[in-house]
Amino acid sequence: MSDINHRWMEKYPELGSGPISTEPYISPEWYDREKDKIFRKVWLCVGRASEIPKAGDYKVKRLAAADTSIILIRGKDQKVRAFHNACAHRGNTVVTETGEETFGSSKAAIVTCRFHGWVYDAEGTLKQVPSEQRFYDCFSKDKNGLTPVHFDMWEGFMFVNVAAEPESSLTEYLGEYATHFAGYPFDDLDYGFTYSTYLDCNWKVAHDAFAEAYHVDTIHAGSFPNVFSTGLQNVKLMGPHRTCAVCLTLNAKPTPVAGIANALAGASLVSVRGESMLPATINPDKRDDFAFELSVLFPNTLLHVAEGIWFTHQFWPIGHNKTLWEGRYYVKAPETYGQRWATEHAMTLQRNAWLEDTATMEDTQRAMQSRAKLEQHLQDDEILIRHGAVVVDQFVNA
Amino acid sequence: MTSITLPAGFSDLEPFIDWALPSADERQTKRRTATRAQLKAFYDAMLPRLEAVLAAADAYPLGKLPAELHPLYHMALSMAEVAPHIELYGGAPGVPYAFEETRFIAAHGAQDTALGLPPTVMA
Repeated sequence: MSDINHRWMEKYPELGSGPISTEPYISPEWYDREKDKIFRKVWLCVGRASEIPKAGDYKVKRLAAADTSIILIRGKDQKVRAFHNACAHRGNTVVTETGEETFGSSKAAIVTCRFHGWVYDAEGTLKQVPSEQRFYDCFSKDKNGLTPVHFDMWEGFMFVNVAAEPESSLTEYLGEYATHFAGYPFDDLDYGFTYSTYLDCNWKVAHDAFAEAYHVDTIHAGSFPNVFSTGLQNVKLMGPHRTCAVCLTLNAKPTPVAGIANALAGASLVSVRGESMLPATINPDKRDDFAFELSVLFPNTLLHVAEGIWFTHQFWPIGHNKTLWEGRYYVKAPETYGQRWATEHAMTLQRNAWLEDTATMEDTQRAMQSRAKLEQHLQDDEILIRHGAVVVDQFVNA
Repeated sequence: MTSITLPAGFSDLEPFIDWALPSADERQTKRRTATRAQLKAFYDAMLPRLEAVLAAADAYPLGKLPAELHPLYHMALSMAEVAPHIELYGGAPGVPYAFEETRFIAAHGAQDTALGLPPTVMA
């Protein structure tokens, strides 16, 4: 007879049940080790291939935790390749960056360094060096292309790995996580909103705040007042990755404007829908109270899927107590002005819920830094946080 | 601003024409800096007219809304921004117990929503 209160500890006893140290959240030294042992070693999700749809389109993504920026560029052969954004001449960035993400497009599928006009193509080859004859015999264009970064794709998501030789392929790295989500219509639901901010907290504080449903009844009493958490279901740990079903009950009829929105489009998380678009692996028991699948693609991507909507949170470490958060919300492209309006209503509610979610993070960091408490206590439904702490510890101490 | 008018049949909403704001950023700022009374008055005026406003916009394919209907549609979008504050937050202009709203950056925030463009930032 299983104990309903401790079902996840019984399923995954190897994670233990003791308190978790706060040191990894507040130590600059620990963060340096995370950079070396995690962010410079594993595959990182850096966007959707649909963000750079045409030959010559490129995106530059800063990865502070790996001390680099990556150019993702689509070649004339339609293949996307990844390179460090560093010029072979004197090390300047080739594409001038305007922020965490810089987008551009080149009809000729080339990028040109602003500093002295060195030109590289989408295969990374150095094509042109102004006044090339003034360089010496030891210099050769052939040996001075852009430095490639390992790149691969899964379900339309772009991944990079900055290790010289990754320890595993992307397929091996994702393992069962890839099959769990395979078949979800990510590309059909490609109408995406992006929000971002810098949070004065460790990336794991941000991760943890989103990786449980225990907070729904308190933190979201404002935006989702009639929604109550009925706990996690179907927790599945898959190597460094993890997933579960978040189940919620809806107790009241929608508010007047929400009712109008729901009639126009089922874009809101808090609306009831008909036929399923979910793969059989998700909500396998077809529970009525299933709200969304909450998963963590290690280390820093949270992927949530539901009927008609999916969303991600990414936590990009900037320092041991500074994190870039990016929240993205995707629905099917609206076909009418009414549907576009309903999407705006749903996105607004979701944004407000994210404002509620992020509210605790900087407070948590400051309190942890006081060292008044040196450990945190996790209940059974906070197993995703426990698993995260165990996995980070394994990587850092490997 | 003063030259904006609403189409025939919607002149009752003209006292609220200052809510006819093209971008999500403008609508959020307007809501955040409004008084409780202003939010309530706008909500009360818009609620019985919202479905008619959206039906008027839906007479046109997405992306083809005539310019004279843009202000009306922008007001409906302001209603999407304001409604949670009346219906869920007890009339408060800000999201209660929340992170600082001005620190959240919306990638699509400056776009004119009536144009019907995808909000995704792309190359």
